[in-house]
Amino acid sequence: MNKRILKAMIKKDLRDIYRTNTLLTTIIVIPIVFSVLFPTLLVGSSLLFDIEKAVGNDVEKMLSMFLSQTNNEQTFTNIEQQIVYLFINYLLPSLFLLVPIITASVVAANSFVGEKERRTLESLLFSPVSIKTLFLSKTIASFIPSFLVSVTSFILCGIIINGLGYQLFGEIIFPSSNWVALIICLSPMVILFTVLLNLYISSRVKTYQEAQNMSGIIVLPVIALIVGQVSGLFLVGAQLTLIIAAVILVVNVVLLLRITKLSDRHILFEKQIH
Amino acid sequence: MRGLSQGGVGVNSIIDVRGVSKAFQGQLVLTDVDFKVEAGKIVGLLGPNGAGKTTFIRILNGVLKADSGSIRIMGHNPITDGDEIRASSGIVTESAGLYHQMSGRENLDFFADLYGVTDQNQIARLLELFELSGHENKPVGTYSTGMKKRLALCKALLHNPKILFLDEPTNGLDPDGINMVLSYLKKYNQETKTTVLICSHVLHQLESICDSFAFMENHTIIEQGTLSQLEQKYVTEVIVRIGTDLVLKETKILGYDCKPIVDGILVTLPSKTEISTLLKKLLQQHQVHSVEIVNNNLESIYFKVRERVR
Repeated sequence: MNKRILKAMIKKDLRDIYRTNTLLTTIIVIPIVFSVLFPTLLVGSSLLFDIEKAVGNDVEKMLSMFLSQTNNEQTFTNIEQQIVYLFINYLLPSLFLLVPIITASVVAANSFVGEKERRTLESLLFSPVSIKTLFLSKTIASFIPSFLVSVTSFILCGIIINGLGYQLFGEIIFPSSNWVALIICLSPMVILFTVLLNLYISSRVKTYQEAQNMSGIIVLPVIALIVGQVSGLFLVGAQLTLIIAAVILVVNVVLLLRITKLSDRHILFEKQIH
Repeated sequence: MRGLSQGGVGVNSIIDVRGVSKAFQGQLVLTDVDFKVEAGKIVGLLGPNGAGKTTFIRILNGVLKADSGSIRIMGHNPITDGDEIRASSGIVTESAGLYHQMSGRENLDFFADLYGVTDQNQIARLLELFELSGHENKPVGTYSTGMKKRLALCKALLHNPKILFLDEPTNGLDPDGINMVLSYLKKYNQETKTTVLICSHVLHQLESICDSFAFMENHTIIEQGTLSQLEQKYVTEVIVRIGTDLVLKETKILGYDCKPIVDGILVTLPSKTEISTLLKKLLQQHQVHSVEIVNNNLESIYFKVRERVR
């Protein structure tokens, strides 16, 4: 592994992201929507409106049922607290997962198929860059911005939730153990998975559009998580988050091995350039 | 080998290709190609579009795998030692392969890192040489086609390669640009003894700079040799254009076929040696302004070679 080449490739890719307006827009807009807009709307509306009056007994019963499934030690004085607590700790983390997924998807697809579409992949394949270095640099260069966006979103989310939520709870409620497990374990694993899957798909399809369409499948499990929680089927706590992260880690290792095995320069060249 | 024998070629071949074939999805793109290049020479790989020139260069660089045959580039096998070959060779592809969002300087900095170039002055020297110094900080996307080609050449020469592969290097260049690039290549080759393989279908551009030529037709190399070797084999009669005040009254002059043209005559001779005999006789009674052999240029030979295989 040539570190000089690896560093040069990563630096070039990061600069490319910074200079591609569409990518930069995605990287900026996505965190704003999921980390600023959503929590502000929910926590803000619970402060502005009297939700307790608006909801009936059935909703109260449903909320109690949800809360009974959690292992929380938090005591609630009103229904607003219950709704905000459930949203912040159970629904928002699933939605939040879309931040690293979308960011990593867009960045990784651009990173590989983008090279092909701009006809620069040919230059790379004609250079003494090993395919292993090529894939590793693409993985790292896609992981870094996605992880930074994820962490920035987490911090923004924390500021909004604690800033607005303090008036409701009278204490700091963020981050809970669910969020800590999510940001430290699940989010990096999901980013890595998204990047690897995208690189795998990108090295086998011809256009950026095709790569994006295929990688869109990644959001399906997240939608399943959201639906599962909203319907009351299950709630994703810290423990389940860690288990999911561990499963994705295994999948990532398998994917990485597969990418390394299939990364033959001639196959790549024939599929991408010819 | 189908080509003409070249003295010493086998002894010092930097490129040695034997019986290489390649097919894409059942369709043959290269058939039983034999090819040798002596170190330090400039070789023109000529052929019509679709003859297989680009595929051949890709195989030589180890980015495509031949289905059969053997290849040695600087003693290396492109399949097993591809990175060694790529590290010691430079390439200019038809698309130039540059990053449009990056400046010319940033592109060269990036490729210098990939090729391990440590000489800090090399980039500035090449930019100066190819008259790009004033544009080095502009994004490559704003460059003209000619500027992109020149930058691609800078990129290919960054690491002082032992072999330079040039796929249609003059495409998109204006006449000044073509002259500049070709004369620089010749000078560079003379100074550094770098082997250069140029693919082109613009024959007259290559005639003056190449030491030898290889002709591709029907997915294989049908002939290879120096211009004089090719001339010896394919130019069986000499057609001479003579600028003279002679007004032809018959179709023969001194027993040779001839026909009138504007301001002169066109005479077909059995060999070059007859030219002086003809001129001596002609000068006794007429004026001669110019004499030129018209059928021994690369283009004429190229068509004769192609005729032979059809």
